[in-house]
Amino acid sequence: MTATHTQTPATRRAGAAEGDLERATGRRNRRTYLALLIPGLLGLLVSFVFPLAYMIRMSFNRGAPDGIIEETFTLDTYIQPLSDPYYWRVTLDTFQMGVTVGLLCILVSYPVALFLARSTSKYRGLLMAIAIAPLLTSAVVRTYGWMVILGTNGLVNSSLEGMGLIDTPLKLTNNMTGVTIGLVEIFMPYAILAMISGFGRLSPQLEEAAGSLGASKLQVFTRVTLPLSLPGILTAFLLVFVLSISTFITPRLLGGGSVQVLATEIYDQTTGLLNWPFAAALSVILLVLFGLIIAVYQRLTKKIGG
Amino acid sequence: MTESKLSIVDLTKRYAAGLDPAVDRLNMEVEEGHLVALLGPSGCGKTTTLRMVAGLMDPTAGSIVVDGKEITHTPVNKRGMGMVFQSYALFPHMNVEQNVAFGLQMRQTSKADQKRRVAGALDMVQLGHLAKRQVRELSGGQQQRIALARALVVEPTLLLLDEPLSNLDAKLRETMRTEIRSIQQRTRATTLFVTHDQDEALDMADRIAVMNGGLIEQFGSPTEVYERPQTRFVANFIGQANFLNARVLSETGAAAKGETHYRVSIDELGEFGAVGAPGLTGSTHELVIRPHRLRVSLRPAGTETIAGVIERVSYTGDAISVAVKAGNRVLQAQVPTSSGDLPRPGDAAYLSWNEQDAYLLPAAVKDAAGLLPAAERDSVA
Repeated sequence: MTATHTQTPATRRAGAAEGDLERATGRRNRRTYLALLIPGLLGLLVSFVFPLAYMIRMSFNRGAPDGIIEETFTLDTYIQPLSDPYYWRVTLDTFQMGVTVGLLCILVSYPVALFLARSTSKYRGLLMAIAIAPLLTSAVVRTYGWMVILGTNGLVNSSLEGMGLIDTPLKLTNNMTGVTIGLVEIFMPYAILAMISGFGRLSPQLEEAAGSLGASKLQVFTRVTLPLSLPGILTAFLLVFVLSISTFITPRLLGGGSVQVLATEIYDQTTGLLNWPFAAALSVILLVLFGLIIAVYQRLTKKIGG
Repeated sequence: MTESKLSIVDLTKRYAAGLDPAVDRLNMEVEEGHLVALLGPSGCGKTTTLRMVAGLMDPTAGSIVVDGKEITHTPVNKRGMGMVFQSYALFPHMNVEQNVAFGLQMRQTSKADQKRRVAGALDMVQLGHLAKRQVRELSGGQQQRIALARALVVEPTLLLLDEPLSNLDAKLRETMRTEIRSIQQRTRATTLFVTHDQDEALDMADRIAVMNGGLIEQFGSPTEVYERPQTRFVANFIGQANFLNARVLSETGAAAKGETHYRVSIDELGEFGAVGAPGLTGSTHELVIRPHRLRVSLRPAGTETIAGVIERVSYTGDAISVAVKAGNRVLQAQVPTSSGDLPRPGDAAYLSWNEQDAYLLPAAVKDAAGLLPAAERDSVA
């Protein structure tokens, strides 16, 4: 909205004086805000900016065998992975895994989130706590749990065999299937929380209003509930996608070495081959590539999210 | 009797077993084209009743009949009613036009028809120029009108309004009151209107259902519920009232509208004239007199007066409220500010009233034997 102001000199002077006062208080407030920011900024500087700068610098070094790092300035660490189809394959797999896990996680978390967001039950708090309780256990422990459940002699296979539905055990671990199942469950609490926080505009009255105007239950969902919960869904998807592509524990353990994604590759380079410059370069590639994807995603969803 | 547009028969809602019902065997007949206000304090069951009529809530027992068809268990989207919510409940992801068109889309009316009717509805609420606006850009009053247009565009069998004015500021509320009433009268939409505001109900409604504790205390025209309250609750809730315990001595003749004139005796104050339903002689009833129907005179005037002393005077511009202590009772009177002598605390005052302004409540008072001191039995609301 625009407004046109016609000012007489007198009101302009008064306005100017007011403006001075505002600017003065504004300056004071800004100083307070900056002061409040300092601890956080310092923390970020030490724990994020400095390591990141160090990592970027590291990526231009040359890694010699036996973990020896040759201080230099080379682009070899970048040229090597970018010209190797293997790393493109790994990057694509990483992207695919992120999208698959994101979509499946949304699919299973959405009903839970919708229920929790709309519930007026006195047990809502308890149910909420249960939904996010898995966060209390480390992802490592939960991954091992999934290995037990999905393994060749695990719960799923022995149950299916016992019921006579399958003869040979399904291959649910040491491959992408197992990694996907594990990641979907591990990231569910995050997805649920992100969605609930994004359901702000959803209200039972809107659904009632749609119903009173003649919308069937399905129409209420497609015309009102789903569009209004979309911002939450989009946020949750992004969160799960980012978490998926950066995690290495679950792909490593449930993948059993046969699933290679960028995060596991970086881990191997760092701790296995001790080639830190190469690992750093892969990290920078991950950061830039997926940073771009996220930027595009956010630009696209801004329109939908309104 | 003409066929009612809406009949509510023994409608009951119990939220949980063992709890007092929120709505208790409620009966009501609404005539075509009428605006009926459900008036009462919060928790009286008025919103619950409206939600059951709308189909947003299942009744525990009883039935709802519209146009002769029972709809008690018809799902909300098949009832064809238009509802305006307290929060307006406009869809935030649609613009004004899309909001209003929603009900027509659900009815699969043609695009051309939709366009014409949406424009018509927006013109009716005088907001045709805002058709393309987003909902969040509208003021409260504008949102309210869009909500009304959205409910009316589908030509609903019943228009249901759930405290539609309570989120507006006082000035706007009065404007919208007039506007809703005039739109309702133009469209002849039979309307149920939930409110806790007595002025709103008196101003807008053809009939008022005064509700309390899940029951209708009285169902009648605004003048009936105001002039002839049938219970102490109604007299108290709508306007102000003085209550005096009066022993009915004798009938003195027939009054208008099937009522009867009586001689009554009020302890310590004397004998007076009053009106009430027939057949009250011999028992004790509460006498209701509105403060502004009491005449205040500073000199003795006539025989049937209550002599007292002015305790408090409060000047509100339009009127002067006077508290008069007579015996151990305090009576509230209201006089116009233009009257000559301005009363002062400590002055002697003489109260009198027209016989038809003193109304005997139909229910007899139980503790008439004087078990309680008069001051505790009589009170001023």
